[in-house]
Amino acid sequence: MKNKFVNILVPLISVLLAFVIGCIVIAVLGANPFVALQALWTGAFGSMRNVGTTLARSTPLIFTGLCACFAYRCGVFNLGGEGQFIIGAVVCCFIATRSGLEGPLAIVLCLAAGALAGGLWAAVPGVLKIYRDQNEMIISIMLNYVATLFMGVVYTNWLRDGTVPQTAPVPDATKLSRLFGLRVTTAFILAIVVGLLIYYFLFYTSKGFQLRAVGLNMTAAQFNGFAVKRYILMSFIVSGAIAGLGGSADLMGTQYRLINGYASGYGFDGVAMALIGQLHPLATILVAIFFAVLRVGSTTMQAATGVPTSVSDIIQALVIVFTVAGLAMVKLPQFKAAVAKLSARKEAA
Amino acid sequence: MEEFLRMEHVSKRFGDFYANKDINLTVYKGEVLTLLGENGAGKSTLMNVLIGLYQPTEGSIYLNGKKVRIDSPAQAVRLGIGMVHQHFMLVEAMTVFENIILGDRNTKGVFIDREARKKEILELSAKYGLDVELDRPITEIAVGAQQRVEILKALYRGAELLVLDEPSAALTDIEVEGLFKIMRKLTEEGKSVIFISHKMREVLHISDRITILRAGEVVTTLRREETDGQALANLMIGRELAPSQYTKVEQAGEPVIQLKGVDFQKDSKHNGLSGVSLTVGRGEIVGIAGVDGNGQSQLAQVVTGVLTPDAGTVDMKGTRVAQFTPNGFILENVSHIPEDRNKMGLIGEMSVKDNIVLKTTETQAFSSAKGLVLKKKAIRDYALEMQEKYDIRCTSVEQEARNLSGGNQQKVILARELEGEPDLLVAVHPTRGLDIGATRFIHDTMIEARDRGCGVLLVSADFDEILEVSDRIVVMFEGQVMGVYSGKNPPIEEISLAMAGK
Repeated sequence: MKNKFVNILVPLISVLLAFVIGCIVIAVLGANPFVALQALWTGAFGSMRNVGTTLARSTPLIFTGLCACFAYRCGVFNLGGEGQFIIGAVVCCFIATRSGLEGPLAIVLCLAAGALAGGLWAAVPGVLKIYRDQNEMIISIMLNYVATLFMGVVYTNWLRDGTVPQTAPVPDATKLSRLFGLRVTTAFILAIVVGLLIYYFLFYTSKGFQLRAVGLNMTAAQFNGFAVKRYILMSFIVSGAIAGLGGSADLMGTQYRLINGYASGYGFDGVAMALIGQLHPLATILVAIFFAVLRVGSTTMQAATGVPTSVSDIIQALVIVFTVAGLAMVKLPQFKAAVAKLSARKEAA
Repeated sequence: MEEFLRMEHVSKRFGDFYANKDINLTVYKGEVLTLLGENGAGKSTLMNVLIGLYQPTEGSIYLNGKKVRIDSPAQAVRLGIGMVHQHFMLVEAMTVFENIILGDRNTKGVFIDREARKKEILELSAKYGLDVELDRPITEIAVGAQQRVEILKALYRGAELLVLDEPSAALTDIEVEGLFKIMRKLTEEGKSVIFISHKMREVLHISDRITILRAGEVVTTLRREETDGQALANLMIGRELAPSQYTKVEQAGEPVIQLKGVDFQKDSKHNGLSGVSLTVGRGEIVGIAGVDGNGQSQLAQVVTGVLTPDAGTVDMKGTRVAQFTPNGFILENVSHIPEDRNKMGLIGEMSVKDNIVLKTTETQAFSSAKGLVLKKKAIRDYALEMQEKYDIRCTSVEQEARNLSGGNQQKVILARELEGEPDLLVAVHPTRGLDIGATRFIHDTMIEARDRGCGVLLVSADFDEILEVSDRIVVMFEGQVMGVYSGKNPPIEEISLAMAGK
């Protein structure tokens, strides 16, 4: 109980501190921090249109966040969310633009193929880890570059459309439908559903329970008869499939075509979301939406007050730094002692 | 004699468990003080307080009569306290010389004046008879020499008090003699030594005074002349060494598990098995006696499917085991109380409740639709029942298992492992670090399991425990079975010799 309280309190205080420092930076830049923050708020939530944009922006972050979250729960580090996301989008792009299929069936096929591709891409570090004991972090990061460069080949050569190095957009009939005519699409709903499924799996099924046990103590899990290696490989594949699904959903929902720089940074953003969300799938979704708010709102802030969007980047980075530092701090014996002393004093009073 | 260290009313509490309670301890200059106590008596905790790894919950520490606060190992070094851990803290790829100057704060500037340092070290080593080869890498020198490097390292950093944690555990007899000579040399030069051991013979040989710890408290401190081995043992255990109260089974039932000529990393003296043949029958407790690290851990892991033997055969209830997996053995109804409860037995960050049902969430009782829906209420109710039955003391079954005391953690494991009425129970150091009450409870539970027909393989480094509950005693030394003895009126002398490889 006490732990849960701390787990929520630390990110909240971190956000608060990040905003305080952000305000100081804004003030130093010569703008009124309150006006700037108000502009940021309006940019993100000022109208239904803005809300739609914010949610649309959060969708890929939710997918990569859940991707990182799932693997971490099994005790392995999948830093390759970006590559898996890209591979999902690339495969989706192939099918959408080249298969000639259209309609709901094509959409379902694209999503499934994207998830499958992402899962296979993530299986590479998983297999190398369990059979060759290779470091999964390094291999999954390296595969990000491979995926990015592979996507480069696709949009500059194989699927190039005209003179610009980019692919043709996916056909209109495979574009995901918008919700209430806003920029947010069914991809967002899909992301939420995936999050709920992961939550249910982790905390309400026996396999999810065993997966968490493996993640928390692999040796004990092995001694208690769990097939640890199988769980590790499966968690990698599922984690990659979530990212791949996100990639194809994002391509058909928002991006429509592969271009230079697509999905850059999504992978590590996802890792940050998962960590701030304490590896809880639902919290990870909330954190992803929060980051989308900062990103969308900052454009309005820049237009209204002249405060550059990079101030929002600073705030985002500070949230990550403070949360990580805060969570490390509450584990320190000195901190625990201080808390014990405080509560003892309270009892005495 | 002049006093060097004084600890006054030192207590160290973890949760509501006192690892050390109101400890008073004095070490004079030029003496060897022995800390004697069972596993879990609080010796290590006390020393960790002394070298600044732990902060005492209460109490104060005085050095040379001045009150000090030791908040880090580095601070302890500055104050002249050096510790040689049981498991050496050396960088194996580096040379002896590099290890000794590692972390030395006297070096000024960026460069190390190697020649000057070497000269200092050689002077020290000549003074105390600590002969080492400075330019050899650690990997190439013997264990005894590594220990001398550790001592030299401590002295080089200006230690006035040396803490030696079970220094003789890994040494041959000749090396132990050498170590004692060095200790004498140190005390002649006015340095003090705290010697941690439970080998009675050595304690009586080298100590000036002996402080006995039991259950976290100081029982008494005696001069060597005023005591003998039997008296010390009784003080350490806290009762007269009573003959075992459990009735011994002389005729076991049909074999549950049978090993024939099992090898595992045969050439490794300390972590291997070589030609081990042994049988555990229904309704008997087979105790594996031996000094820690003579293959007992590997034996336990072979008969629970964690390790696959390199050669030999294992028959489980008459059927040859083809594949060694923990799950395969669990399905054969083998239970395991592993040697390290935190690392191997429990998922520390999960609740007591979750740990109790760890292996059984897929059964009908705790989930439906093949594990797709966990029956949370059934799990909780069952956990509450087990909490009652096994007397697990926790604030709630939702409490994280890592926050329980050792004894209660072990009870969580017992509840999980014994409720299925196993055919074979493999218990490794099941009472290590537990108090007498918890130990008795665990022994009673094992006897009960035996009496309902379970075969029990008990591995313990605690000889008294082996004598107390075993129906048959198997002695292991360097991975081999040295002999099998009856648990009824066992030939203690003979077994002790076998444990030493004779």
